[in-house]
Amino acid sequence: MIKDFILMNGYGIFVWTSFVITFLVCVIFYYKTLKTLKKYEREFVKEIEELSNEQKKIVLSNSEIASRIISSQNKTI
Amino acid sequence: MFSLFYNSNIFIWIERIIKFINSIFFIFLLIGLSFALIFSPPDYLQGDSVRIMYVHVPAAWIGLSSFSLIALLSILHFIFKIKNLPLITKSVAPIGLMFTCIAIVTGSIWGQPTWGTFWAWDARITSMVILALFYFILMLTHKFISDENKANKIACVVAVLGSINIPIIKYSVEWWSTLHQPASIKITGTSTIHPSMLMPLLFMFFVLILYCALIFLMKYKTEIIRIKKKNLKRYD
Repeated sequence: MIKDFILMNGYGIFVWTSFVITFLVCVIFYYKTLKTLKKYEREFVKEIEELSNEQKKIVLSNSEIASRIISSQNKTI
Repeated sequence: MFSLFYNSNIFIWIERIIKFINSIFFIFLLIGLSFALIFSPPDYLQGDSVRIMYVHVPAAWIGLSSFSLIALLSILHFIFKIKNLPLITKSVAPIGLMFTCIAIVTGSIWGQPTWGTFWAWDARITSMVILALFYFILMLTHKFISDENKANKIACVVAVLGSINIPIIKYSVEWWSTLHQPASIKITGTSTIHPSMLMPLLFMFFVLILYCALIFLMKYKTEIIRIKKKNLKRYD
């Protein structure tokens, strides 16, 4: 039964190749997108850390996005 | 009400939706794959090779609809100058390109058992390759033109020009004699596909749409951070 499922009456090679290619491309694309997002988050936090204390206070009080990114980065650390 | 559309609120919603999609995606994927590979019946003519349809057709639909969306948003941006629209088109373009390429590759693999060849310069296939080229030009525009306003204007022109290709792709199987079969699923009119195949197909389409939403939101979030990062430079 498993053999039939894999071979699919001789069409298995075409069906499995199509599904594997689609799956692999989707996984690679997901990880690449996630990696870029994390890279930007890290760089953003790093740039905030480089600001003076006063500037940092202003940025964090004005931008909810900045505070959320910093707190999420702290969680991952 | 309009506070919903502020970047900070959008950002919070993006984080919530990403978490939600991540939590449900694999269950839906497993159900979709089970139907596509096990429970759906083989075709009376094409046999089990018809299962390629469950990735090929949704990929082609996503490729086409993404470009239509990009063209529409580009025109809206050109008229109303809404600043978030270029961010959306920029985030959608790579997804559209990826699925257009998947549709071309899986279609080519499907062509071997059904037509006896991996490739033919058929009207449908050629117009899909042209669509991929338009996506590619769109992405290169944003990559190599540093002036964002200029890049957005050029991308808008490319999107509008590329949108001419959309009806050509859709009707290519009717206008020309092609190897590619005519549409089996019609929004207006009776579909010629059996419900036992239509339901898994629509389910796989839904699963891939979930995936697209996930990637789009991650890319959109990256774009918002990029802009925030650029704004930080004002403090230097």
